[in-house]
Amino acid sequence: MSLTRVHWFRHVFNILLGILMIYPLLWMLGSSFNQENQIFRDNFFIPSMPTLANYVEGWAGLSGIGFDRFFLNSFFIVAMSIIGNLISCSMAAYAFARLNFRLRRFLFAVMLVTLMLPFHVTVIPQYILFHKLGWINTYWPLIVPKFLGVEGFFIFLMIQFMRGIPKELDEAARVDGCGPVRMYFFVILPMTVPALVTTTIFTFIWTWNDYFSQLLYISSTNLYTVALALRQFVDVTGQSSWGPLFAMATLSLVPLFIIFIFFQKYLIEGITAGSVKG
Amino acid sequence: MKRKWGSAFVVSMAAACLVSACGQGNNSGTDNAAGGASKEKVTIRFTWWGDPVRNKVYNGVISQFEKKYPNIDVKAEPTSWADYWTKLSTQIAGGNAPDVIGMHQFYVSDYAERGALLNLEPYVKSGVINLKDFPQAVTDSGKVNGSLDMIAQGVTMSGQIYNETLFKQLGVQPPTMNWTWDDFINEATAVKKAFIAKGEGKDHWGADDESGAMEPVFEYFLRERGKDLFTTDGKLGFTKQDLEDWFAMWAKLRKDGVVPDAATEAQYTGVAPEQTLFAKGKVGITAIPANQLYLYQTAMPDAKVRLVGEPRMKNGRNGEFVEGAYLAIPKSSQHPKEAAEFINFFINDVGAGKIFKLEQGSPGSTKIDSVIKPLLSPPQQSEMDFISNRLKLASTAPKPPKGYNQIAADFTNAAQAVAYGKVSISQGAQQFFEQVNSLLGQ
Amino acid sequence: MGGTTLKPLHEVQKRTDLAARRYVILRTMSLKARTRNGQSSMAGYLFLTPWLVGLLGLTALPMIASLYLSFTNYDMINRPRWIGIGNYVKMFQDPQYLMSVKVTLTYVLLNVPIHLVVALLIALLLHKGIRGLHIYRAVYYVPSLFGGSVAISLLWKQIFGGGGLVSNLLEHLFGLQNVNLIDSPQTALYTLIILAIWQFGSPMIIFLAGLQQIPVELHEAATIDGASTSKRFFRITLPLLTPFIFFNLVMQIISSFQAFTPAYIVSDGSGGPLNSTLFYTLYLYQTGFSNFQMGYASAMAWVLLIAIAIISAFLFATSKKWVFYSE
Repeated sequence: MSLTRVHWFRHVFNILLGILMIYPLLWMLGSSFNQENQIFRDNFFIPSMPTLANYVEGWAGLSGIGFDRFFLNSFFIVAMSIIGNLISCSMAAYAFARLNFRLRRFLFAVMLVTLMLPFHVTVIPQYILFHKLGWINTYWPLIVPKFLGVEGFFIFLMIQFMRGIPKELDEAARVDGCGPVRMYFFVILPMTVPALVTTTIFTFIWTWNDYFSQLLYISSTNLYTVALALRQFVDVTGQSSWGPLFAMATLSLVPLFIIFIFFQKYLIEGITAGSVKG
Repeated sequence: MKRKWGSAFVVSMAAACLVSACGQGNNSGTDNAAGGASKEKVTIRFTWWGDPVRNKVYNGVISQFEKKYPNIDVKAEPTSWADYWTKLSTQIAGGNAPDVIGMHQFYVSDYAERGALLNLEPYVKSGVINLKDFPQAVTDSGKVNGSLDMIAQGVTMSGQIYNETLFKQLGVQPPTMNWTWDDFINEATAVKKAFIAKGEGKDHWGADDESGAMEPVFEYFLRERGKDLFTTDGKLGFTKQDLEDWFAMWAKLRKDGVVPDAATEAQYTGVAPEQTLFAKGKVGITAIPANQLYLYQTAMPDAKVRLVGEPRMKNGRNGEFVEGAYLAIPKSSQHPKEAAEFINFFINDVGAGKIFKLEQGSPGSTKIDSVIKPLLSPPQQSEMDFISNRLKLASTAPKPPKGYNQIAADFTNAAQAVAYGKVSISQGAQQFFEQVNSLLGQ
Repeated sequence: MGGTTLKPLHEVQKRTDLAARRYVILRTMSLKARTRNGQSSMAGYLFLTPWLVGLLGLTALPMIASLYLSFTNYDMINRPRWIGIGNYVKMFQDPQYLMSVKVTLTYVLLNVPIHLVVALLIALLLHKGIRGLHIYRAVYYVPSLFGGSVAISLLWKQIFGGGGLVSNLLEHLFGLQNVNLIDSPQTALYTLIILAIWQFGSPMIIFLAGLQQIPVELHEAATIDGASTSKRFFRITLPLLTPFIFFNLVMQIISSFQAFTPAYIVSDGSGGPLNSTLFYTLYLYQTGFSNFQMGYASAMAWVLLIAIAIISAFLFATSKKWVFYSE
């Protein structure tokens, strides 16, 4: 009896909180179907005269390049970033969490310190570096760093997970003649699935939304990403395209949503497959 | 141990290389202006600020140019205003600036006085850029310390727009072209009173609060007093008393509820035209650059908006000065000649003019003016009439010193501090003078 | 303590089915012993190679360059000229800088604890199996999907601005007229803190993942031993979650000190009204990119780095006392 009441209470709480969370989504969705000149007039999110025009105009893209292209570009960068982060961060994390080497503590501290400097002051030197490499207006500056483990956030995250794996496993494996490389592949990685999934989700969302580095390094419209293209719809000195902005911003959330729904399942089922459903 | 020091040495050497590259924007690209055109294909990069609608217009001009100059490829790199200046400063610092860049009077000093922009005078002399059809005031508006560092793509003049439909509904006599500050106060007060009578006094006002707008409104106010924002040697060109008078005028209007309270005004400052209090019909009068007239008219399909001059001072001087959007070439450009040819095409070609029309205000060239006039819609025509009418009264205003954006932000802050009631009028003026003097003193 | 005794954690953990499963996999591969002492150090650097290349090739140089630039008058266009500690001295006489320090400290002190507690509570709530779990989890993550989009900035102004949702609510409930929280210097910062807390999805996910790493067998064993729910929470869940609490704490502190996006999008980069949302990095950004004082901005960045480093070092020092690693 009391258990069902607790259940009921929890549901009400969740639903109320849920509305608070989802309100912007509804508002954006509503605005995306609204007449462009009504967006700032309608106070509520249900459009008075729904239309698909915003989607048509938005999908046509910028400077003759369709929005589908921007989606593909974003997907490419995101996919490469995920692969890069998964490989480089898990390798570094494994080294820091499980292996002994000289300067380990020092290098770990260095890794954390690199996270502490506001990136705005390294933008110019980094731009010069990439310019000297001839990488401006290519995707290299956006992808290569991911393969070189510059995202210390994920390294630190994976370290925390790896430290939770019982050391006895290592010892058992070592007794059986398993070297660090095999240990990494067959013991550590399978046990770190929640961290890898978290990394995948975050890398997807953060790279998808990160317009600043994309803004600096990409100039040609045919290389534009979704985040960059969305920034172009609004200009306070001119004629902003609010309708297409909302339409394409809504569409741009769809992949994020799908990825999240798809991977969160693994987040939950990954490591304790079979035993959690009880 | 030795190895450790060795690697430290390598790292610091590499860092030194990187650091020394930080200043490279200034050194390269001193090509001669009169060099002959090469036959091989040249690519120049062109960046401007814009929205999708505006970008179509620029792209149109570019394709016209490429047709006429088959050996020059123009690579378009537009960015929205909000991101434009960050990207441009990074590119210039990185030695990778486009060959033709959109420039603005608010930013030109920061680039020109640091030596980032090419002096275009030699190209005018050699005939690559033709300014024969430019009025002198328009040409001069592109000069910084006597050096022609940018050329107008379009000129505009500031004014005040009022909502004619609203004035009719409220039964208030509309402003006239050459109204005074007293007229402004009376008109705005009348609108507010009419709103109160209608029971809408709570969230409707007579006019926007322009006390934080150092440029252009305060500059008009100063110039009418025979002063300027800045002196030619880069100091403040007005006294604390001028600023106190300015703040006092707005404080009175704010106290009477004729202009919105500080928080409301802050909420609607820096937003796109369609989101403003004016577009929502909540104020009757606001200051705009004339070239934005059609944006407001588009955003307000149910109303008729009209443009009048900035208010004048009784027996005062003309406050008018030329504003606009410009084109410049950075010193780092490897193809300054082609860039100059492009600028010349942009400002003088009839076909380009027909596409560009009033995108950044009235064309600098009077010849293009007359070509495009018949092609314009009625609001565009009244915009152009307004600009050419005011242009006759205009004289040159000294360009701001380096650090313009900080000064403008300090000004807005001081005005807001007064508006929020955080400081008195004289404290606000004092605060601004102290901040700017410490900035310019460096 | 109660009548039941819990087995030591590590002993219970050995029972993890999963571990046994991996172990079997390894056995069947029947690998020959190849490890020698000392190989591990080489292996360490081997696995660290990508990161080391990134550090030396991409990260270290720009960082060192910015440290050097902090002692110069670098203006992004002309060659930097050495001016010694001038930038560092100037900072502490710059009222706007001091304002940005105050704003940022307020933000950190409020955002970090509230953010983490909310994320942890919701994660615990969601971790317990309730119907529709997938949906709730997705719904709670929605705000974090938006990042710093234009839509969020518009929406926030609409909710907290004059005539907005909150303003109307306060008028109807308490008769307060013309409340404009987002454009009042006294309250603007708090609307941004609410925005940050509202986007609690990322630490929540990390907590969820951490909760997932706690072997179910541990709870089962403890239940068999007769431990109560609260005892299981405090003796098993919480200790095993401490590495993730620690992680989120350190990362939230770092990112809150560097907070930029909320103020940038809501105040259109101005830090207004009256500098009340002038975050440290926002002022740094303005100084560098709008005012061309990149040398000064670099000095600010390094002062921030040192401040964060000291706080982090302190946290790491205390972590030995309260963070539980099963190694």
